[in-house]
Amino acid sequence: MKITVSINLGGYSFSIDEDAYSELKRYLKNLELHFAGEESSSEILADIEARMAELFRARIAGYKQVININDVNQVISVMGTPEDITDNGGPGAKDKFSSPRYHRMYRDPDHRIIGGVCAGMGAYWNIEPWIIRVIFFVLAMMGGLGVLIYLVLYIVLPEARTTAQKIEMKGNPVNIHNIQESVKKEFNTVRKNMKL
Amino acid sequence: MDLENTKAQMRKGILEYCILSILSRSSCYASDIIKELKEAKVIVVEGTLYPLLTRQKNAGLLSYRWEESQQGPPRKYYELTSEGHTYLDDLDRSWDELVESVNLIRTR
Repeated sequence: MKITVSINLGGYSFSIDEDAYSELKRYLKNLELHFAGEESSSEILADIEARMAELFRARIAGYKQVININDVNQVISVMGTPEDITDNGGPGAKDKFSSPRYHRMYRDPDHRIIGGVCAGMGAYWNIEPWIIRVIFFVLAMMGGLGVLIYLVLYIVLPEARTTAQKIEMKGNPVNIHNIQESVKKEFNTVRKNMKL
Repeated sequence: MDLENTKAQMRKGILEYCILSILSRSSCYASDIIKELKEAKVIVVEGTLYPLLTRQKNAGLLSYRWEESQQGPPRKYYELTSEGHTYLDDLDRSWDELVESVNLIRTR
């Protein structure tokens, strides 16, 4: 048994499995970020949603009532991932971070004092970088731990170079759903790392 | 050299031209355009079409109108503006020139 969600996509109403729903939502969110710099990006998204609604209707015509994860994956492969749609690379020119996610920590080269670690953390959590800098400074004064943590983060965190990365760095306006997702993601990564 | 990437670059260049060409015959619903582009194998993922249509519309080459549909919500029908027709005529000429140039080199 599965829980289904009711959605309005391109003016059609659909019942969709919960897992399929979150996948679809993630995909549309990624597209939204992808077209963020574009003039009339909302119009492009509305057109894409309308087309996806049509494809879903064709898939569930007649015998099915609920959209499942399989349908979502099929329709996404027909529409293409943001990497496939991109204009300057085309298929084959994959981004360095091909796993689609929309909030991750980077070093921020635009607002850096030393290496951009604190600026990046500030952008990620949406707090003033100076607060983080003060914490690091205090930790550095008390036995040098701050320096060590800073160095590790400097090595581990990639620099935000492209616009897409800079948007990812800031992430989305904080809401319950996003917090839930990021916590879940973080938890999974930690669990995966523990197993290794 | 990445063959797939080179092919994708070639396709991308002519995609815009193909869209205008399709619309020069009659006004079209986006899914009809997709169908033709797919049959002609000039498009791989459908998502590529929509940003192009919006850009061409913003550039004044296309306009659209909403039309009622029996199967669901109203549909967007795109058509070429007069500016779009002039633009396409220009592209037609430069396409002929390109084909000629490439043929000249290939048959030498």
